This record gives sequence, structure tokens and C-alpha cells, in this order.
Amino acid sequence: MKPGFFFFEALRSIRSNVAIAVAAIVTVMIAVFILGTFIPSFLYVQSTVDKQKDRLDVKAYISDSATDQQVSSLQNHIKQLQQQGLVKDFQYVSKDEAVKDLKERLRDPSILELLPSNVIPASFRIQPVDPNRNAEIRNAIVEEPAIDHTMGRGGERGVTYAKQTTDRLLKIATFIQYAGLALVSILTVASVLLIANTIRLSIFARRREVEVMRLVGATNWFIRWPFVIEGLICGVVGALIAIGLLWAGKVFIVDAFVERNDSLTKAEGFPISFLALAALLTISGAVVGALGSGITLRRFLKI
Amino acid sequence: MSPDPDDANAPRTATAPDGADMAARAAAEPEMITQEERRQRRRDGERRIDRRSLLRPGDGPMVIFEKVTKKYGTDTYALRDVSVSIDAGEFVFLVGPSGSGKSTFIRMLTREVAATSGRVTVGGRDLSKLRRSKIPQLRRGIGCVFQDYKLLPGRTVYENVAYALMVTGDDQRSIRRKVPEILSLVGLADKGDRHPNELSGGEQQRVSIARAFVNHPRLLIADEPTGNLDPETSIDIMQLLYRIHRTGTTVVMATHDRELVDKMQMRVIALEDGRIVRDQRQARYARVETPIGGVQ
Repeated sequence: MKPGFFFFEALRSIRSNVAIAVAAIVTVMIAVFILGTFIPSFLYVQSTVDKQKDRLDVKAYISDSATDQQVSSLQNHIKQLQQQGLVKDFQYVSKDEAVKDLKERLRDPSILELLPSNVIPASFRIQPVDPNRNAEIRNAIVEEPAIDHTMGRGGERGVTYAKQTTDRLLKIATFIQYAGLALVSILTVASVLLIANTIRLSIFARRREVEVMRLVGATNWFIRWPFVIEGLICGVVGALIAIGLLWAGKVFIVDAFVERNDSLTKAEGFPISFLALAALLTISGAVVGALGSGITLRRFLKI
Repeated sequence: MSPDPDDANAPRTATAPDGADMAARAAAEPEMITQEERRQRRRDGERRIDRRSLLRPGDGPMVIFEKVTKKYGTDTYALRDVSVSIDAGEFVFLVGPSGSGKSTFIRMLTREVAATSGRVTVGGRDLSKLRRSKIPQLRRGIGCVFQDYKLLPGRTVYENVAYALMVTGDDQRSIRRKVPEILSLVGLADKGDRHPNELSGGEQQRVSIARAFVNHPRLLIADEPTGNLDPETSIDIMQLLYRIHRTGTTVVMATHDRELVDKMQMRVIALEDGRIVRDQRQARYARVETPIGGVQ
């Protein structure tokens, strides 16, 4: 009988304070909507950065004077690394292919004609399993006799893995991860405060009622339960409305965009299962609503 | 030390000169509970521990103030060194000008206000030692009536009274039995589904009294219950409180109403500037040259 009574009390309170309940629901709705757009956006950015990380490869330049035997020795060494789980894949790039690549990248390919012969060396392009371990790959093969030590810059002669670029990209990836986490946390805290404030107003409007309840000998939990349930209901309703809006946004904006744009697959467009997101947001709405009113009420339950 | 309530009450009502007609009017009303029940309750009070209320005065007084001082802030005194004792079954008027400490006195009984120093004992309980979590239980044993009624605005008369029973964990069946019973006792049998804002002041105060008495508390406190009412309605409310008193309930009532106090001829405790300046049995609102009762 008690849970039913508390639920009934919560509904009565919502009914007799419709304006306040609507304010609380709208507040939760806005907060959940912002979180609901931010979380997938953050996940999308992160998955994009992760994909860039896959493109960080190692280049082993082959000396023009290397014998076939030396080259196949280098190739075997790389295969060995592949078996060790360090290398995902690798390709041989011949001198001709290298020049062609370069020509495509240069703004004025005619400067290559100034060269007496093709000075661009052949190479192995190696895709690592984990770009953080590129240095290990380099160290393993740099002593191979086939390596052309005139190529590359600074400390990366012979075998290059764009140390600076790698480091920078990895740093950015980490930064995005932490910044995103911080942003989501700040947004969450801001939402909680916003909701708590609305709930405080609603309870403040009813502080006389709470006072009377206390005077007739209601225990704190007897007073609190209806408020907690009310907060829970407002939280869930607000979250559900926001989810409805998010779903409409996903279907009519994101999905439509993905279909028009070949480069994006559906999986890329929405990086998290919508159902999981909806469940997460509903639960957060409920918890924030219930905790918010339960805790805010404490101030009025003293004495 | 404390007179038997039976001996103390009977002559007081019988010999009260002006209160006689009120007593007669009250007696003409249907009895709230029968003589037999009343005697049974008194006996129970002595023997059985009350399951719901913390109030177990036993043979001792219902309320004891021992050198109670209440300070608000650093130098505002609401009560100064107040010592007084109220027996079970007594009817006490608390009189005095505004700011004399009447409300603080009343609010100390429900532990709404805690004493700065001294000891308040209600129903044998030292309130300074009462755990915070026990306060609701204390309040269930005390009926409260206020000048501003303090009804729950969103609820009907019936629900307002029922709330006091819900709080104590009564089941629906006993609530459905008790609420109409008490509503008809206060003369509001047909107004159960009205909301407080649809009632007159006197009717709202009746609801408040019904709520205060529905649990049959041992102690009923009233803070200016007639303060917002016209004289005629005040007398009705006073009668109701008197009838509650006659069931053996201790009643402490703070009031400004000189006429009512003079008519009732009950014990009067006068406060002034936080001190008890007079404590007289069968007394009038103001001091008279030859006190009828003895000064304690």
C-alpha cells in the first residue's frame, strides 16, 4: 500500500503544480538533448581520429645498390615482424611507382625533369598494428644492409615513420579524448545543477506544505518519497521527449546526410547504437530527477 | 505533588462561575467518548506503553520546563529561566503580549525549537536527549492547532485529516472508519470533499482540530487558535477544545482572547518578556486583586 500511496501522492503533486512540473520536464529535456547530441558527436570525432591513426605507416627506403638477396632479407625481416604482431601489412613500392606518386603530389612536376635520373628510391611501406610502436619497427629493420641511409630526416635516416606527425596526431587524439570527456562532464554537471535549481524552486513553492507534514509527525522519508518519485517521473518524461527529438534529428538530418554523401557509411554517421544512447539518457534523466529532488528537499527537512 | 486529574478537573469545571454556561453547552453536545472509555484510557495510560506516541508521563506531569532559556541570536531572549509544570489532563492558557515567548513555549513542546539551556520534558521524555529521528514520533503524540490552521492546500478536508493517520501508518480501513467519525464530531460530516479554501475560517479551524485529535493524542497544543476568528466562532472552537480536554487530553493553549480566558476559569500562565509573571488556577486573563486560585 505504501509505494502505491507515494506514487499517488507524486501524481497528485504534479497535477496540482502543473507549471512547475512542466518547467522541470523542459529543463531535463534541454539538458538531455544537449548531452544526446554531444555524446555521439564526440564519439564520431574520436572514431575519425582513430582512423587517421591507422594511416601512420613506416617507410623503409631501399638503397639503389642493394642486391636482390639483401632486399629479400629485408622483406623476410618485415614478415617476421608481421608474425610477431607488430606489423599489420606491408607493400613494396618500386622506384617508378615512387616517382609517379611524387609527381602527383608536386605542384610543379616539371622540376623532376631537371634530375639526370630517377633518384627516388624504392621502399617498403609498412602499416603497423599500433602506431605507438613505430619506433620498435624502425629499430628492428634499420640495420638491414638493403636500407638506404641517405634518405629521411634527422634521426630517422633509412627508415622513417614521420615521428613528429605521429607524435602530434597521437597527442591530438589523446587531447580530444580528455577534452571530450571533460566537456561531457561539465555538461553533465551543468545539467544537474540546472535541474536541481528547478527542483529547488518547485520545493520552495511547497515548503509550507512540507512544514505542515513535519508538524503532524511525518518522518522525513514519508515526506521525501513522493518528491523523489515526482522527480523521477519528470526526469523520465523530459528524457523521453528529448530522445524523441534526437531520434527525429537522427532520421531526418544525420541519416539523410549520410545517404547523400558516399564517403560516409551509416556506421560512421552514427557511432553509437541509438537504443543504447536512449537507455543511457533515460536512466540519467531518472537518476538526476530523483536524486535532485531527494537531496534538495533535505534543507527543508531539518529541525 | 501532582493532583489526580479526576479530582483536579471535576471541581474546576463545576465551580467556575462564568465557565459554567460553556461547560453546560459543552456537556449538551454528544460526548466525544463515553465515561467508561475515558476511564479506560486513563488506566491504559498508566499501564500500557503507548505504541504510537512517545508520551508516557506515567504519574508525573505531562510537561515540565526546568530553567528553560531560549536565545535567538546573541542577545534576543524568547524565554528566560522558565520553570513550570503541567499535569496530565490539565487545561492551561498561556497568555501575554506579542513577543512574550508564548509561541516559543508552544513550539518547544513539539521540539520545533530547542532550548538554549535548561530542560524541557514532555510526556516523561527529556527533549534535549531526544534523537532527531524520534521527533516525528514525538509529534504524532501531540495534536497541534494553529492560528493559520496549517491545512494542506491541495487536499480535501477528508484527505487533510487522513494525512495525520497515514503518517502513523494506519491502514486504509481504519482511516475510512476514523476520518468520518472525527469529522462528524467537529460538525463537518458533510464537508469531507471540500477544499480548505472553500471553507470559512471557523470551519478550517475545525478541520485543523479534527486532524490534531484524530490520533487521540495525550497532549494538544493550540497557538492562538481563535486569533483569526470572530467572537462567536471563537466560542465554538473553544467549546471543541474544551470537549477534547474533557476526554482526558492535556491542552495547552496560547491566546490573546481575554474574554475566552475569563469565561473558562482555567489555569493561566502569564508570560512577559520571556518570564512567567503569573501562574494561577481558575484564573482570569488579567491579574485580579484577590486571586481565586493560589499562585504557584
